[in-house]
Amino acid sequence: MSEVSGAANTRPLLEKAESGRPFGLLLVAMPVFLVGWLVIWPIISAVFRTVWHRDSQGNYGFDLSTYVFFFSDKYSLDNLSITLWTTGVCAFLLLLVCLPIALYLRFSEGRLPAYVQGLAIFPMFVPSIILSYAFIRVLGPNGMVDLLLNAVGLPKIRTPYLTPWGPVIGLVWDNIPLTVLILLSGLGNVANQSIEAARDVGAKRFQVLWHIILPRISNSILVALSFSVLGIFSAFTLPYVLGPAAPEMMGPFMQRTFRDLNDPLSAITQAVVTFSFCIVFGLFYVRSVARNQGK
Amino acid sequence: MSVLKIDNVSKFFGTTRAVDDFSLTVEDGELVCLLGPSGSGKSTLLRMVGGFAQPTAGSITIDGEEITRLPPEQRPTGMVFQSHALWTHMNVFKNLAFGLKLRKLPKEDIDRKVEEVLELVGLSGYGGRLTHQLSGGQQQRVALARSLVLEPKILLLDEPFASLDQHLRERLREEVRDIQQRLNITTLFVTHGQDEALALADRIVVMRDGKTEQVGRPDIVYREPATPFVAGFIGTMNLIEGDVSNKVFNRAGFQVPLDIADGPVTLAVRPESLDLSVDDKNGQAIVHRVTDYGTHGLVDMDLPDGGRLKSMVGHPDMFASGQSVKLNPTAIAAYRDQKLVHRSQ
Repeated sequence: MSEVSGAANTRPLLEKAESGRPFGLLLVAMPVFLVGWLVIWPIISAVFRTVWHRDSQGNYGFDLSTYVFFFSDKYSLDNLSITLWTTGVCAFLLLLVCLPIALYLRFSEGRLPAYVQGLAIFPMFVPSIILSYAFIRVLGPNGMVDLLLNAVGLPKIRTPYLTPWGPVIGLVWDNIPLTVLILLSGLGNVANQSIEAARDVGAKRFQVLWHIILPRISNSILVALSFSVLGIFSAFTLPYVLGPAAPEMMGPFMQRTFRDLNDPLSAITQAVVTFSFCIVFGLFYVRSVARNQGK
Repeated sequence: MSVLKIDNVSKFFGTTRAVDDFSLTVEDGELVCLLGPSGSGKSTLLRMVGGFAQPTAGSITIDGEEITRLPPEQRPTGMVFQSHALWTHMNVFKNLAFGLKLRKLPKEDIDRKVEEVLELVGLSGYGGRLTHQLSGGQQQRVALARSLVLEPKILLLDEPFASLDQHLRERLREEVRDIQQRLNITTLFVTHGQDEALALADRIVVMRDGKTEQVGRPDIVYREPATPFVAGFIGTMNLIEGDVSNKVFNRAGFQVPLDIADGPVTLAVRPESLDLSVDDKNGQAIVHRVTDYGTHGLVDMDLPDGGRLKSMVGHPDMFASGQSVKLNPTAIAAYRDQKLVHRSQ
């Protein structure tokens, strides 16, 4: 008797779940369509246009000449190198700056950490263009730092403005909030008792950090670095305003090739190369996260 | 020989006194339970012994050596945490070997010690398992093994069985007691479970508001509670407020001869010391509910003024709700101004 009533009770639930399926699909249909239209299709289109285009005789066909040119052109390779260098240095500096901030915020109590957190998150609300001009006014030639040094009779600094270090400083500053927030979220999963247990068995502070905390937040570090690397690699505003004219990062390089040189095919090739590097970072991130979760 | 001495230790959090002028000596090989309700300061005290909190005043010594200001990593103590606090990115072997590696022991010694302690806690062959592949009881054993493998002078247990089910808790506490006695390790155990304290401890320290309420052997604390708080906290106790007049305690018709001065008093009677007999004419209480536990029964009764009493009976089927019963206490204690003024056995 009870079995019959049990079966009768479960049927409406199943029917309800099945009847809700089209509605659920409908809900995701619009975002999926937009991703397909605005992201996937342009990628496919860009790749297709760089490998299937009109040659010098005016015939359409498969042609890798734009890629051959990119990877044989010293200027293009220098731009790619400076982009990789900037990305690597920024990622390293972000970890160096943000990890101590996140550790401090996680393991401190009181009002001061709240102010520090506010300060660390503040760059998130500053547009890149404002940040760029603030940078110029502070660290640029005859900027605030130079004026202050001059006031106390010291020589001017060698300004990082229009050097490879200009975008590095700007991009690091710009990416601090997201990196701190992701690391902080990871540190939130490290229980105080885990740390106390490590100290109880004899671990000093650095040993606790190295053996207990860092392995536990490796996923968060990976996520933070992946997000930063993807953003920095394809950054435009900060490298455009603060960086050197040559070599330049891929963002400004694409824009100049497209607009100043009026060479859309080469610009699209540069975009595909940039995207390829980003997708390698992305795949590395997905693989690492999946492997860590598997553990 | 490892003796833990806590001398006049206090701990303030702002204006709140978590531990107030607390003193205790735990003898070599002794297992002392700190027992008290939440907020009584027992965990704070344990954390101060472990080095995770600094006393505001007082001193802590182990074998005569002061450790009050030493950081946890320099103390000869081992702590087992309530949440196990195992490192989930390491397997069981690495959890146990971590402390030994920090001490730079040779690999052979580490392997041997880890294997020995795994055998001690009944987890031989589990070294390669990840901690999330273990049950709650096994995780707690690993946590215990992690402390024991370092051969601490003092073992500190902070409600280690709180997250386990009743059956497992009972089994594990027996195992912990066996291991503690086999190793003869001085142990300080924090719990708010009276049954745990009664079953495990050589001595119980009942704490309340950061102070010692009573210290003694479990049987003494149970049978001869020094204050109404201890009487009410350890086991089940009927605490009956009433008045003594002409050497007779009276509360709503429930009268007991009591040879003390006249005045208000709290009478304490254990349910097992309160005999009942059905008496329709001269009954002092009305049976409210009878609960049969198989081995014994518990009768809840109401006094005429609404006061609730409990009695443990051998044959619960002799009683029924609504019956009038006569009360006959066989052992009582009386408290006045939070002090014991009378006890009869």
